[in-house]
Amino acid sequence: MTMRTRTDFIITAIAALLGLACIFPFFWMLRSSFMNNIEIYQYPPRLLPSIWRGDNYPAALSIFPFGRYFINTLTIAIPSVTGTLLTSTMAAYALARFEFPFKRLIFTLVITSMLMPSTVTIIPIFKGWVALHLADGYVPLIVPAFLGGGAFNIFLCRQFLMTIPKDLDEAATIDGAGRIRILAQILLPLIKPVLISIGLFTFIIYWNDVLGPLIYISRNAQNTISQGLANMRAGFGTDYRAIMAASCMSVAPAVALYFVGQKYFIEGIVLSGLKS
Amino acid sequence: MSAKRKSRGVISAYLFLTPAILGLIFYTFLPIIAVVGMGLTQWDALKAPKYIGLGNFAELFTNDMFFVRSVTSTLYFALFTVVLGTAYAFAVALLLNQRIAGRGLFRSIFFLPYIVPSIGAAIVWAWMYEANFGVINFVLNSIGLDKVHWLGDEATATPALGIMTIWGFGNYIVIYLAGLQGIPKTYLEAVEIDGGNTWHKFRHITLPLLSPVIFFNILMSIIANLQVFVPAMSITKGAPNGSTLYMVYYIFKQGFWNNRFGYASAVSLIFFAFIAVVTALIFVSSRNLLFFEGE
Repeated sequence: MTMRTRTDFIITAIAALLGLACIFPFFWMLRSSFMNNIEIYQYPPRLLPSIWRGDNYPAALSIFPFGRYFINTLTIAIPSVTGTLLTSTMAAYALARFEFPFKRLIFTLVITSMLMPSTVTIIPIFKGWVALHLADGYVPLIVPAFLGGGAFNIFLCRQFLMTIPKDLDEAATIDGAGRIRILAQILLPLIKPVLISIGLFTFIIYWNDVLGPLIYISRNAQNTISQGLANMRAGFGTDYRAIMAASCMSVAPAVALYFVGQKYFIEGIVLSGLKS
Repeated sequence: MSAKRKSRGVISAYLFLTPAILGLIFYTFLPIIAVVGMGLTQWDALKAPKYIGLGNFAELFTNDMFFVRSVTSTLYFALFTVVLGTAYAFAVALLLNQRIAGRGLFRSIFFLPYIVPSIGAAIVWAWMYEANFGVINFVLNSIGLDKVHWLGDEATATPALGIMTIWGFGNYIVIYLAGLQGIPKTYLEAVEIDGGNTWHKFRHITLPLLSPVIFFNILMSIIANLQVFVPAMSITKGAPNGSTLYMVYYIFKQGFWNNRFGYASAVSLIFFAFIAVVTALIFVSSRNLLFFEGE
């Protein structure tokens, strides 16, 4: 072995060890979800179940109605993704293509609000929804997505729209296209990869959100997956085989989505960290 | 462009911006003003709010032993997580930037914890940390160390939750790796020609070129981790003895469990000031450390 290939081998070996440590929690969750409680509590712990028991999953489903929680979560996530994409691109279009009074001020406010910790205002915003008699349900969770869709997404779309030559808009105007058509049919298709990334990350954020549903959803029938899982852990804390099965069910869709949209996840995260 | 067309452009611009402006008003400015106002009231459960001046703040600093604990434990969590997490993310990125087989696969493996539902992650980590049956103590035991009461001991609860959080730092690994791969090879070769070694390359090329990226990501991760909530809510409930009673969880408890909305607003206001000071300190202290290309 030459010096060079030996170093490469050592580096790959270290990465492999770290990688194994990193996927270990996933493995532990999966392996526990196929054990009975006696095996889960066994010490020293065993690596694999003696028999792979699939019956933990139906057992979990009887206290963790995954199908309903799944639909509830989608009921929040899908409109929120739509609202985010719609209103963030609208704002980005105005900031990238128009001249108007207070443009700099508005842009600065958008940028500054990126640093704004959203948890500071949970109490007054909740009281606001109480005053509107809308504090129990999905409305407070979905509405914010339709109000700009997050400063960061506005900023990202604006940066990309600015790279598209204005000649394109002007040519379309001469052909008689209105502003909405220019945005929807000419500009947005050109920044599609960014929009897909924003959509995927927004979806994951709503899929994983814990605090929002805890504040605004009180009825069990309306619970989201994360909320249902948190309640299950609080209520059936020692029945680990069912909890692990439910955990696997809640993790699986996120992992599956990652493998479908891998390219956009990676590109999106790179943009979020490097573009600024 | 005619004046008429220009003014129509202004109207269109504001129409396109309307949702975002409403968001700034109703989700940023008004709530911040409201937090200040509500912080000056006693507003319990369904009763009407009553103005009590600085009463909440007096109670927080003189009569609430958990509040100060909450501030210090939040700061401890954020510092622990961001310092070790940044080191971890940068080290893994450097490792993956070497000539390595299956880089894409490794990147996926390290990234995945970032997008996994935090409750699911918390459940399995809590079980791994479990003192009597947990696999982490089993590993310690088998190399001859004593079992640690990870989540039950004031000294280890925050570090334990911090390590779990750092596991989810896959986004930073991907960002740093992309940054490393974006460094022009010619710069590194120039150091080699001048007789520099690996350390010189790292110290004089890699680190300065990436310093703005590192700065931005440290800033964002401090803001994010000062707002830690899920680990406290789902695993420790603030225990043991307030050592994981992080501020957002404390606001949540005072507001939504105890229904003390005025008091929770006062905590929110202090929390806001606290984050603003930390952010400002980072900006000021970093001014000399950053390197911007083209300056």
